[in-house]
This record gives sequence, C-alpha cells and structure tokens, in this order.
Amino acid sequence: MARRILRNWDLYLLILPVDFVIFHYYPMYGVQIAFKNFMPVRGISGSPWVGFRHFERFFNSYYFWRLLRNTLGIGVYELLVGFPFPIILALAINEVTNKRFQRFIQTVTYAPHFLSTVVLVGIVSMLLSYNNGVVNSLIELFGGERISFMTEPGWFKTIYVLSGVWKNMGWNSIVYLAALAGVDPELHEAAKVDGATQFQRIIHINLPSIIPTIVILLILNAGRVLSVGFEKVYLMQNSLNMEASDVIATHVYRTGLLGAQYSYAAAVGLFNSVINFIMLVAVNRIARRLNETSLW
Amino acid sequence: MKRTTVVVLVLLAVLAISASVAAADPDYLNKTGFPIVKSPITLTMVVGHSPGGSRDFNELLVYQEYEKMTGIKVEWTMIPLSVLTEKRNLLIVSGEYPDAFHSARFTEQDLMLYGSQGIFIPLNNLIDEYAPNLKKLLEEHPEIKRGLTMPDGNIYSFPLIYDPEFASVLAARKLWIKKDFMDALGMESIETLDDFYEYLKGVKNNDPNGNGIADEIPILVSSDSYLFDTLRGAFGLGNRGMAHQHVDVDPKTGELRFIPTSEEYKAFLQYLNKLYNEGLITQDMYTLSSAEITARARDGLLGAMITTNPRTGYGVEGYIGAPALEGPFGDKLYTYVNSPLVSVGAFVITDKNPHPEATVRWIDYFYSDEGAKLFFMGVEGITYTTLEDGSVDYTDLIYNNPNGMSFTEAVSSYVPYRNGGYPAIVKEAYFKGSEGQPDSIAATLPLVPYFPEEIWPPFSFTEAEMDVMSSIGADIDSYVQEMRAAFLTGNASFDDWDRYVSTLERMGVKQYMKAYQAAYERYLNQ
Amino acid sequence: MIRIPESDRLFRFINYAFLCFILIIVLYPLVFVLSASVSDPALLLKGQVWLLPKGFNLDSYARVFRNKEILTGYLNTIKYTVVGTAINVLLTIMAAYPLSRKDFVGRGLLSAFMVFTMFFSGGLIPTFLLVRDLGLYNTMWALILPSAVSVWNITITRTFFQTSVPFEIQEAAMIDGCSNIGILVRIVMPLSLPIILVMIMFYSVGHWNSFFNALIYLTDRAKYPLQVILREILIQDNLSEMINVFDEGVIRQMLLAEGLKYAVVVVANLPVFLIYPFIQKYFSKGVTVGGLKG
Repeated sequence: MARRILRNWDLYLLILPVDFVIFHYYPMYGVQIAFKNFMPVRGISGSPWVGFRHFERFFNSYYFWRLLRNTLGIGVYELLVGFPFPIILALAINEVTNKRFQRFIQTVTYAPHFLSTVVLVGIVSMLLSYNNGVVNSLIELFGGERISFMTEPGWFKTIYVLSGVWKNMGWNSIVYLAALAGVDPELHEAAKVDGATQFQRIIHINLPSIIPTIVILLILNAGRVLSVGFEKVYLMQNSLNMEASDVIATHVYRTGLLGAQYSYAAAVGLFNSVINFIMLVAVNRIARRLNETSLW
Repeated sequence: MKRTTVVVLVLLAVLAISASVAAADPDYLNKTGFPIVKSPITLTMVVGHSPGGSRDFNELLVYQEYEKMTGIKVEWTMIPLSVLTEKRNLLIVSGEYPDAFHSARFTEQDLMLYGSQGIFIPLNNLIDEYAPNLKKLLEEHPEIKRGLTMPDGNIYSFPLIYDPEFASVLAARKLWIKKDFMDALGMESIETLDDFYEYLKGVKNNDPNGNGIADEIPILVSSDSYLFDTLRGAFGLGNRGMAHQHVDVDPKTGELRFIPTSEEYKAFLQYLNKLYNEGLITQDMYTLSSAEITARARDGLLGAMITTNPRTGYGVEGYIGAPALEGPFGDKLYTYVNSPLVSVGAFVITDKNPHPEATVRWIDYFYSDEGAKLFFMGVEGITYTTLEDGSVDYTDLIYNNPNGMSFTEAVSSYVPYRNGGYPAIVKEAYFKGSEGQPDSIAATLPLVPYFPEEIWPPFSFTEAEMDVMSSIGADIDSYVQEMRAAFLTGNASFDDWDRYVSTLERMGVKQYMKAYQAAYERYLNQ
Repeated sequence: MIRIPESDRLFRFINYAFLCFILIIVLYPLVFVLSASVSDPALLLKGQVWLLPKGFNLDSYARVFRNKEILTGYLNTIKYTVVGTAINVLLTIMAAYPLSRKDFVGRGLLSAFMVFTMFFSGGLIPTFLLVRDLGLYNTMWALILPSAVSVWNITITRTFFQTSVPFEIQEAAMIDGCSNIGILVRIVMPLSLPIILVMIMFYSVGHWNSFFNALIYLTDRAKYPLQVILREILIQDNLSEMINVFDEGVIRQMLLAEGLKYAVVVVANLPVFLIYPFIQKYFSKGVTVGGLKG
C-alpha cells in the first residue's frame, strides 16, 4: 500500500489546492454559534455558552411538528416525483434522431431554469387563479367545480413540487445527457443485430450506463431533503394555506424579524444539516449495499 | 478667623468643582449656531438604503449643502436594505464599524445589546447639552421619551418621529368610500357598521355605476390586516394604538387585555365573517398581489378601499374618507393610529466616534423646523419654493424633471428622506407624500376626536422578556393570524371558539401577558 | 440486413408524442414571459394577457436600459463569470480525478470529509472574517475564492470519470510509462468533454446569478454585478417602509414593475441561456471509448 501512495504522489499534489480551499473556506468553528448566545459585539469566542437552549426553543415551539412535517413532506415528495422526471426526459431526448429537433427540445426545456422565482410564482398564480385562471376555466368547461389552488393547504405541496419539476427538469437532465453521450454506439449496433427493440436497448444499455450517475445524484439529493428553500415558499404562502406551507425556513425568517436571532437561526440550520446528513449517510449505505456506486 | 477660612475654602472648592463641570464643552465645538465646528472634521456613517431611495448620499444635494453649513464632512457608506441586518452584524463583529449608523433600523433589542456592551454610547447627557430640538420634543411628549429610554435608563438613539400634531400620517391608512356609489344608493352617510354593511351589499347587488353589469367590487384590500386594523376600533379594540397588536386596556377593568381571546374580538370576527359569507369581501385579498389590486382599483370599481390616499395611490378620484364607524356595542373608536415614536433606533453613535458632541448637534438640527424643511424639501430655490401663504412646495425640477425622472426618482436624487427609517421628525408642513396631501388631511380631521386617548409607544423588553416574546410571542402571533383568516372565511367555525382560546392558553398566553405587564409597569414608572 | 422491429416505430411515435407534449407545456409559459415583457402592464395585471402581447410597448426594456449601470453590471458579471468558472473547472477536475482512481489511497476518507463540509460550515460570519483578514474585502476575489469549489460538482465529475474512462485503459498507459497527470490530460480529458462542458455551464450560471455575496463583500458600486443592479431596478412590491410615499410616480413604477419583472428576467438571462445551445453540439463530438480503442 505504501508503494501505491508513493506511486501516486502526483495525484496528492493535484488534490492539494482544493483541500486547501475547502479547509480554509469552511471555517467550522463557526458552528459553535448554534450553542451560544451570539453577540456580534463579543465575537464568537466571547459570546456566552447556552448549550442546547436554542434547540429546545425550536423543539418546544407549538409549530415544531407542523414545520417538520411540511418541510420533510415537501422534500420527500420532491425526491419521489421530481427525481425521475429528468432521467426520463434525458432518455427520451437521447433517442431523437433529428439533431435540430433534439437541440430545440433541449433548449426549450432547460430555459425555465432561468426564470426568477418571482416570475415563476407569478405565472403559477396566474394560471391557477380562482377567478380567471386557465386551469379553472378548463375545469369548469369539463363540468367540474373551480378549485382555489392557491389557498387550499391540500394543494400546496403538489403545486410546489410540480412547478419545480417544470422549472428544473430540463436543466437537471443535462447531466444525464452528458452521461448518455459516453455510451459506446457499438453496443447499440451489436444489440440491433441481435434484434433488440429500441425500448429494450434503452433499458439494457442506456439505463445501466447512467445508473452510477443516477445513484450519486439520488444520494446527493437525499442530503437536501430538508432544505426546502425560503423564497419560493414565502411567495406562495398566505394566511389560508399556512397549515401546509409553513416550513422551517419561513418560520426562522418570521421569528428573526422580531430581533437579532442569529444564534437561533444557526441552531435551526444546524438541526437541518444534521438531519440532511443522516439522510445522506443512510441512502449512501443502502446504495453501497445494492451496487458498487456510492459516495464513499 | 478659622471659620472664615473654612467658608472661603469651601467656596473655592465649590467654584473649582463647578468650573470643571462647566468646562465640559469641548474646544472644537461651537455650542450653538453654524458652523458646528471651528475647523472642519470628517465623520464616517453607514446608512441603510431602500431601493426607492437615493443611491449615494455622498453626491446628494441636501447633504452637500449641509456640509457647507456645518463644516462637518460625512463619508457615507450605503448598504442595501436586503443585506442590512447581515452586514450590520458583520461590521460590528469585525470591529470595522463607523462613527455613527444612520437609518440602520436597529430594534430596541439591538440598542440594549450594543448599548450595554458599550458599542453604542449613552446619549442622555449629550442630548441635554447639545440637542435642544430633540430635548424640547421629549419634554413636550413624555411618552416618546419613555419609549426611547431603554430598561437600563439610557437613551442610545435618535428616533424617527411622526409629529404628534400630524394626524394624517399617524392615521396613515384610512377607509375611503366612493361618493358616487353612495349617492347612487341613496345613502347620505355611513356612520355605523350596519350602515357599512348595507353599503357594501348595495355596491355588490344594486349596480351603482349603472352599466348593467355587476362589475363593482364592494371592497378590496391588499392584506387582511388592513381590514382588521381599520375596523376593530368599532368594537373598542386596540385602544392604545397600533404599536401593540394584541394588547390593549380593558375599559371595564383598567387591566391589560389580551385582544385575541376577548369577547369583543369574537364579535368582530363574526361581523367580518358575515361580510364574507355574503361575498362582500372575498379571498382575493389573500391571493392577489398589491400590484394586481392597484390595477383593479384604477378602474374605479371599488366601493371602498383602505389606503393612504386613493388619488395619489391609485390615481382614482371621487373617494371620501369614512368617519369612525360605530359598532354594535356603541364603541366609536379609530384605533388604526401609529405611535409618534415610529422607529427607535434610527441613529446611533458608536464608541469609535471622536466627536460625539458635534455629531449630536449635527443630527439634532433635523428635528427643528428648518432642519425638517431641509431634510424633506431640499434647498430653497433649487428643489422647493415658498409660496405666498407661507407653505412650501417642490419646484419643477422635481415635478417635471427635465431628465425625465418620475416624481419619486427626482425626489431621491436631491433629498434623502425616501430612504426610510431615518432620524427626523415628519411634519405636516414639509411632507408631500400622500399622507400630506390635502384630501388625506381632510379625511383625517373627523377621525381625530375618536383617536385613542393614549397612544403607547413600543415597549422595551428585558432580555428575559424578549425570550418570551420571540418564542411564545412569535408562535402566538402566527396562530392568531392564521385563525383570524380561518374564522373570517369560515374555514373555522365559531363553535370551535373555545378550542381556539384554550389552544392559545396552552401556547402560553399567561407568560406572554406577564412579560407584557412587567414592561408596561416599567413604562408607567419611567 | 438489420431488421427494424415493428415495435420500434410505435416506440418512436410515443417518444415524439411525449416530447411534443412536454414541449408545449414548457413553451407556453416561456412565450408568455416574452409577451409579458412587451405588454402594457395594466393589462397584464388584470389578467388579460394570455399568449400574445397586448398593448405592445418596449417601456419595460427602456426602463431597464436607461440605467447606465447596466453596462458596468454586464461587464463585471462577465469578468467574474469567466475568471470564476475557469478556476472552478480547473480545481474541480484536479480534485475529481484523484478521487476517481481506485488505487488512490485515502479516497474514501477524503470524499467523506469533503461531503461533510457540504453540510457543516461556520456560516457567514467566520467566512466574512476570513475574507477580510486575507484582504479580499471589496475585491473580485471575495466573490470567487470562497466558492471556488463545489463538492457537489466534484462528486458528479468524479462519477463521470469513473464510469466513462475504464481503468484498464489508464493502467495500460501507466504501464507504458505515462505519469498520472499525463493520463489525465491525454486520456481522461478527451473522453470527458461532455462533463467538462456541463461543469462550465453549472459554474457559469452560478456566477452569473449570484448577488448576495456581491452585496456583502463589495462596497464600490462600480464593482456591482448585473443581478444587483437589476434587483434594484425592480422595486419590490412590498415597500414595507413605515412611510408609504404613494404618489403618481410610484404607482406608475409599481405598474411598470410588473412588466419590468419579465423584461429583467429576459435581460438578465439571455446571454447565459444561449451558452448551452452553443455547447450542445460538442456533447456528441466528444470522443468515446470506442473511438480510442483504435
């Protein structure tokens, strides 16, 4: 083993600058803030230690379970529904033979990623509006009753996730398309000779070749499950759908408005990170057991 | 002989002591008049700026002019509002903070925190000696002084004050009714909540604009809180002003009252629920953006609206201010009134400041009449002129800007007030915003007699009390807001009222009120 | 003669139908954004603009471009993006390659540690202090160095290296006396063109869209990137200041802000959006393993 290390000395050299950047720029001592009553005046080391008080406050909040339920619910929903879409899209696009159409589809589907959240929510609100929204007009046309999408808690998760899918599926499919570009065409030729249908070829050649990418991305995304972002939820939230739309990020924001809640926010953030990390480790372990691709 | 010596010695001692006390005025300073300093000095200030405000104070006419007057040059660093809190903290943590923070929106908690650490200096004596304008204001309005004083007895900041005489800005948002609709419905006046209800019904059902289409909207607001805040006075709620959302004084007992569980509040919600059930208010107020509401308002289809001024706000004419409406129990109170002490931490002086006395003199000017004029109107002859009747108004430079800038852009190019959160006093004579418009002022006059008898400023809480406020208080606040929307729309039934009350009690209303009581008593004793 | 199975034609049809369906769903709101950016804002707000512009006017764009700072904003953003992305991609490859090698001792440990840093970091304050101590405050480097590598991207790149570049080929090269770096440059990189392009895109878009760090670390307006300027132009809907100065000017501005939102989105993103169509053709032009075998 020592021989291997020595032989690969230049690899260690290669990775050195990156290690340097990472260690330098992720000064972790700041994590303490979550356990202290941070006063900017005293700096981190000078601020008094309060142990788990902020965490207790968070766990004791009347809304704790609701926040956890909503945040986790949205996160898992996104994982289950949002994750497969880009894969399917990539596989489909990859099969298009007309290069111009292929490029067109790719460009169009990846464009929504660039829309700002404000614009996205604006469009969604407009389409789903109770009074003049297209969707409700269509529902009425088909004899149904109008639904107040934006105020009913039951619809919140779905709208949140599906609009996210719409926005990002093109962008997220790019990685899979890159992976698919590396598939050896000779394999396909050979399969065709054997009489395999297109569908069979996709399932038995394309899909397996991108499985490692899929697994890695699945693990990484599992590590983001509690990180439901603030901006989009905040824009979609109103007094009537709070039951479903109150997530950890918006709760912290609201309590933060009352005063310098730096430590509290740090504590909640740490809680988030811990749960996320546990999820990631868990999924990684499962991945390791089921196949040879995993994070470590 | 010995006694005389003693007396002389004592006299000398007294003289010596008083001389040393009196010699407190620093050399560099002129105690009164301009310039403020004998030779020019420079101060650094960090200012929070909102997107609608001026971009760079270093290039602003008003401050350049003021520099000439005072001999004090200010090096401004602008921080956008969106990152103000973070950047403020970072500057303090890294020790790189300036001589003073201007318009930095510090809260009472911040003031206590930084004040107790010595980062912000106590200003009590400095105000006494060098801030005659603010001092006079505080003496004339002790409740402002009380709100400004922190629990440790110190004043650490200069505030944003609405002139207590400027009623229209204190009651910034009012209920406006469309006169034409009233006439068409044959209503002479709207005095009570029942009248209001009839009016709204008429707007919805009787086609007051006579075009054969039921396109009129009874009332539309951009947030349900406007509705609650404007009308709750008709139930006697909120009788100590807007600085206290959930607490006022029960007129029957004289004790503090927690509004969200009171019987009057329940009756109020039931009234609103009735309006909702008949389609007089709709859930649009929860989903439409204020820009969308603006568009609808501009069409003149609203029977009623709650805003600062429909003409300047939405460009529609023909709306008159509604009087204070009388509720079913005979209450006739208009409680949507702000405390004159709007923002406590508008200006603070740090321990790095080499010339605190001059700084205090510098900022105090803006609390005078002349200073307010400079701050809001700018420079005479350039940005404003004085009219025959003594009033002032902007010039064409602002109203018809040669470079094509809109009114607000032009204002911000010369004058600093649109940055918001500033240390100054907003006076009727010099404020040309919508609250200062003649129709706003006229609409406020009938409401003034029904203002709360006492308007509390925000209370300052100790650290322990703040803990309660920010944990239990925040949850209570969320719950109350959610539930009132639920009761209003009927999503929650009034049969469940008891459950709502007991949930609140479980959340800790008792602790909340205890903290409030303590802060209140401190306020009374100051 | 290779037979084309019947089911292939059906499959192809389904595939195309599916993609066309996706196309329509995605295209409609995009067209709407473009239309909205040139429509009369008042009509927009009343919900009267559906697909095609109504009340065609270029006011929104005029308002955006009237601001002279847009030009400096664009230039700054381009500068930060180009320099930043170059550094990012370089460092990412340098980290991903060693981690992709089976025979790299300690790769598990290093990977785990890097992933750990994705979750636990000190936050804004320590980073700010560090940036300041290094003298990077108010410089371009404050925007580039702290985010110089993304572990997420390193992981994806590493996975790509592992799957698309068989170890046998690298071993063969090692036997031939090629150094590790030589392998990286001469064998791995040519095979990895697609992922490098993807990384270029990911990082570029990241830089292009950033504004928060700029607000925190930059004090000179002249150094502000595009997004900061654009956000300022877009006066937020909720002017939640205590003094609501509502007047004709602000109303016009608030209405304008509606159309402005869309114009800003277009102006902000058009350049970056166009990167991908240009890069796309290189995806398939990348050399594949099969090509190398010869």
